Amino acid sequence: MKEAIRVKGLTYSYPDGTPALEDIDITINEGERIVIVGPNGAGKTTLFLHLNGTLKSQDNTVMIFGKNLDDMKVEERIKEVGIVFQDPDDQLFMPTIFDDVAFGPINMGLDEEEVKNRVKKALSRVGLEGFEDRVPHNLSYGQKKRAALAAVLSMEPRILILDEPTANLDPKSRADLIQVINDLNNDGITTVIAMHDVNALPTLSDRVYVLNGKIVGEGTPREIFSNSELLKMTHLEAPDVFKLFKVLTCFGYDCDTLPMSIDEAVEFLTRTIESGSGHIHLHIHEHTHEEVRKFLDSYNHH
Amino acid sequence: MNYPEIDRYASIDSPIHNFDPRAKIITFMVMIFSFVFLDSITKALVGLGIASLIYIIAKLPKAFVIPRLKVVFLFLSPLLIIMPLTVDGQVIAQYHSITITLEGVRYSSLVMIRALSAVTLALIMLGTTRFDITIKALYMLKVPGTLIQMLMFTYRYIFVIMDEFQRMWKAMESKGFKLKANRYGLSVLGNMIGMLIIKSYDRAQRVYHSMISKGYTGNPRTIVNFELRTKDYAIALPMILIALLMHTYHLVL
Ligand SMILES: Nc1ncnc2c1ncn2[C@@H]1O[C@H](COP(=O)(O)OP(=O)(O)OP(=O)(O)O)[C@@H](O)[C@H]1O
Ligand SMILES: [Mg+2]
Repeated sequence: MKEAIRVKGLTYSYPDGTPALEDIDITINEGERIVIVGPNGAGKTTLFLHLNGTLKSQDNTVMIFGKNLDDMKVEERIKEVGIVFQDPDDQLFMPTIFDDVAFGPINMGLDEEEVKNRVKKALSRVGLEGFEDRVPHNLSYGQKKRAALAAVLSMEPRILILDEPTANLDPKSRADLIQVINDLNNDGITTVIAMHDVNALPTLSDRVYVLNGKIVGEGTPREIFSNSELLKMTHLEAPDVFKLFKVLTCFGYDCDTLPMSIDEAVEFLTRTIESGSGHIHLHIHEHTHEEVRKFLDSYNHH
Repeated sequence: MNYPEIDRYASIDSPIHNFDPRAKIITFMVMIFSFVFLDSITKALVGLGIASLIYIIAKLPKAFVIPRLKVVFLFLSPLLIIMPLTVDGQVIAQYHSITITLEGVRYSSLVMIRALSAVTLALIMLGTTRFDITIKALYMLKVPGTLIQMLMFTYRYIFVIMDEFQRMWKAMESKGFKLKANRYGLSVLGNMIGMLIIKSYDRAQRVYHSMISKGYTGNPRTIVNFELRTKDYAIALPMILIALLMHTYHLVL
């Protein structure tokens, strides 16, 4: 397996003295789906700005596909790493959607024919066919968000970094976007995503890093969400389904692994019921309510 | 939200709308310069007539041109009052020591007519082309890159900033704020504008980051496909000829 991103000992303070990152170590393999979680101000955006060289650390700490990021030429860099930032208005800075989506490919020095091809392909990938001549200020927020993604996809990067892609989207747009991202990952693109939306997290990640100035946790979503201490410390929450099934275990539901998403829940329930006697058995004993309360307390921020 | 868009009527179908944007800019610039330097009221009126004719051909609605011309008129109207009173020449009316001179009246009307025709032409030029196309045409005409980028960002972010202002305004109104021309009102307004500037500064930084991450190195590049066709020459040539003839007909005739 190839290493896509390796960050070693990255420390960064903003020019005004705000410390943002401290001794970050991250290794991400090609094709992995990584989610980075952490409270507001944890340094997620700052970390991302380092992954394509927009912000520079003091020493050579970021390697992309085995190459030192600082030694890479601009065109090379944008071919490897594409970042979609939080606010689409910051990323659609050209007069029309076409100009925005063509911006990266033109800077890569591609010829006109190829640029137009890529614009077309990128727009259809995010479901915005025919939006070439539209101006950004007349688009809805969700459309702008997708256009911003297209403007990065047109560079066909091998690593795709997304800063809160699902924030402020309606449920349908959110589901569509998650689908697009997972499709891209299936095509072999490494995806690194920062998000606060824990219910959507399991559908977008194989592995999670918990960031809070420094890396304070790492593991599969299940490992991370089972660690209530860590969650409490970093103001995180577990997905509702996960919590519900944990409560069910207090009522005597017997399962070794807890589901992270609705789909998984259906799958697990079916399996347990079929392997059992055709039904599951829940009951209340004298400690049930105490257990439930204890569990909920351990996941409660208040 | 209702933006005062200069290119709201750019999708109408008219010969002026279909005119190649580069040729349009050059032709209209030549005409504007020509009309601004006309030296008699008769010629200036002919110029205004031609501008109105082009306006009719362009099929732009009155609501687009008239309010904007009104602003120009209001802006220049002090001239209509001051110049007749101050320019020396043949006195046509007198009231005590206040005199109105023929030259003054002529001069001020000339300025007004020229301004109105120049602005009409400029409005037609901008109003019949999508603004992004106008910018691209300027880019093709080798206008310096810095200027192009300034235009581009102004065009793009003026709307974002207007939205931001509107949001702040609503937030303040919903907390019971009413603008009054007193010290408190003005200081709140000042704070708001200050906030807006800081926000814009932050945004500029984020926009810059996202440009860098798409390989921006300092010069804007874009793909434009304009093609001059016979019909473009057929419109441009007569218009430029008229513009030139207005100044040189006495040499020809
Ligand atoms: N331009 C800047 N100048 C100074 N400090 C900054 C700047 N940008 C961010 N910071 C600070 O750096 C820290 C990390 O911020 P960052 O934006 O990376 O957090 P984040 O994890 O992306 O947060 P959020 O979830 O709210 O987006 C914060 O303390 C923030 O105040
Ligand atoms: Mg952030």
